[in-house]
Amino acid sequence: MGIQEQYRSEAAELLSSGEVKLVIGFGAGSTADRRRPLFARTPEESEKLVLDQNCIANLTTYLVAGGLLTDGKKVAVFLKPDGIRSLNILIAESQVKAEQVVIFGFAIENNEVTPLEGRSISDFAKLGEKLRTATPPPSVQEEAERLEAMGSSGRFEYWKEQFSKCIKCYACRQACPMCYCRRCIVDVNQPQWVSTSSHTLGNFEWNLVRAFHLAGRCAACGACDRACPVNIPLRLINYRMGKEVKEAFDYFAGESSDQNPVLASFRQDDPETFIL
Amino acid sequence: MTRILPKNKLDDCIAAWQKAGFSVLAPVQRHGMSSFGEVQKASEMALDLILTERTIKDHFFPQTEPLIKYKISKHDIDSETMTPPERKRIFFGVRPCDASGLEIDDPLFGWDYKDDYWFRRRENSVIVSIACSEADDFCMCTSVKLSPDSTRGADVMLRPLSGGNGWQVEAISERGTALCDTVSSLLQEETAQAAPLPRVDGKFDVEKVMEWLADKENFESRFWKDISMRCIGCGSCTFLCPTCHCFDIQDEGDTYQGIRRKNWDSCSFALFTMHTSGHNPRNAQSTRWRQRIMHKFNYYQGKFGVNSCSGCGRCTRQCPVDMGITETLQAITNLPR
Repeated sequence: MGIQEQYRSEAAELLSSGEVKLVIGFGAGSTADRRRPLFARTPEESEKLVLDQNCIANLTTYLVAGGLLTDGKKVAVFLKPDGIRSLNILIAESQVKAEQVVIFGFAIENNEVTPLEGRSISDFAKLGEKLRTATPPPSVQEEAERLEAMGSSGRFEYWKEQFSKCIKCYACRQACPMCYCRRCIVDVNQPQWVSTSSHTLGNFEWNLVRAFHLAGRCAACGACDRACPVNIPLRLINYRMGKEVKEAFDYFAGESSDQNPVLASFRQDDPETFIL
Repeated sequence: MTRILPKNKLDDCIAAWQKAGFSVLAPVQRHGMSSFGEVQKASEMALDLILTERTIKDHFFPQTEPLIKYKISKHDIDSETMTPPERKRIFFGVRPCDASGLEIDDPLFGWDYKDDYWFRRRENSVIVSIACSEADDFCMCTSVKLSPDSTRGADVMLRPLSGGNGWQVEAISERGTALCDTVSSLLQEETAQAAPLPRVDGKFDVEKVMEWLADKENFESRFWKDISMRCIGCGSCTFLCPTCHCFDIQDEGDTYQGIRRKNWDSCSFALFTMHTSGHNPRNAQSTRWRQRIMHKFNYYQGKFGVNSCSGCGRCTRQCPVDMGITETLQAITNLPR
């Protein structure tokens, strides 16, 4: 039995026994190679689940949307390693209870889908270390190095051009599992803290606010980057922030679910060089 | 015999139009995104694109537009109305769906109040459409009763020649005729076949959809919840739509000076309908998606006699979760009745 069939039948069992109220996975999309999030509530619906190399979205986003887990019931979700990393962060930030999530883990390597052992987040303890020591995708690393070599004024011009495309549709925020704020700072409008205008200043404000809020919290799943309809390379910002946090605090977000969120906690030996 | 614009005369056309005081905008691929931008040479144009990622709407109804500048001093209050620059523009290579989008929005901007910002730009612009020679899985113009060579909203219609070396030229409006006159010496009279139009299969039955939407019983249908479950509530479908036109007015500045702006807004956002009291009449994503569909295929039709969709398919093509108008209207078409 292939992994897709195996997960389908396991999902059907979980639903028919009432173990979970919902399975969040992937279904066929509007074209041959598109996959879309699929919500199965009955064993019959789980027959429509698809699992192949095109299932790249990070579905943890739905775990923190619309109060899905507030009834205390369990949900099963299809997750790649970056999704598991996101889940670790969400648990560490007390947004999701570990026992409420059943994981159908899978990895995609060389267009092949392989299952990941384990169904509960505690089964994936070793994965965190593997991710921490893994090298980032060469495409991201090379592009990041190219930007690094530009110098600050070159980089400023680069980002000015990129941000000039921003239409403030907030697809990056909505696709991101870490953007779970009930009311985002840009939606706080009494008074309006961050400008809603898509001029240079407004676009910088938004993208920088988001970058700062994701520092030490990003799982590098690339959801924001893929969601951006105007192709702003947001992965590069998050990569850089992640690197910064790693260097300053030796911290890798989402390594485990019992981490202390790096910018929401302190150690007595934290460097205090920034204090004048 | 047909009037032909040979491809190799395009640079001369641009020069002639610029001499006549026009800026020429065309599809361009810049900074990793396709949109309409000003060009000096034909080689800058990306005419092979099926469709630009951004629409030409951006150049008539910009995402942010200053309206008034104000300054408050000890004894005086000064305000200055800011109007868009008077600039004659040619949009070259507009796809029929995008050109139709402009015409669909005209009645909206001229209904109870004539929006000077929109019409000033409309009046100063000439739309040169190019019929499509290719369509993709998301194109759906035929489903909304348009076509890959629809002339709605166009001043001039160009049809690609089967040899790929030029276009048949047809002036649609007076403005288009006048534009053709400025380059008449560059146009040739020839017998040349136009390339066949791409096939755009019908994806839904818009009449059936409108009938279902008009039935008040369906407003609270479970359908809306099911179809929009995966919607993440971003505004990309609305902001990339050639006909979506909602905006918000924002004052930027402090007590003493500032600018009042008109900024794009989206019915996908929860904040769009949030009352000052904190009550939100559209408090779930399903009610917001329903609003978008109802507005396009029911309310707009009722008010202006036309649906607010030109079938470009961007809403689905660029949706992060593979949703969009096509799937929704397909599902409505197939609902048991």
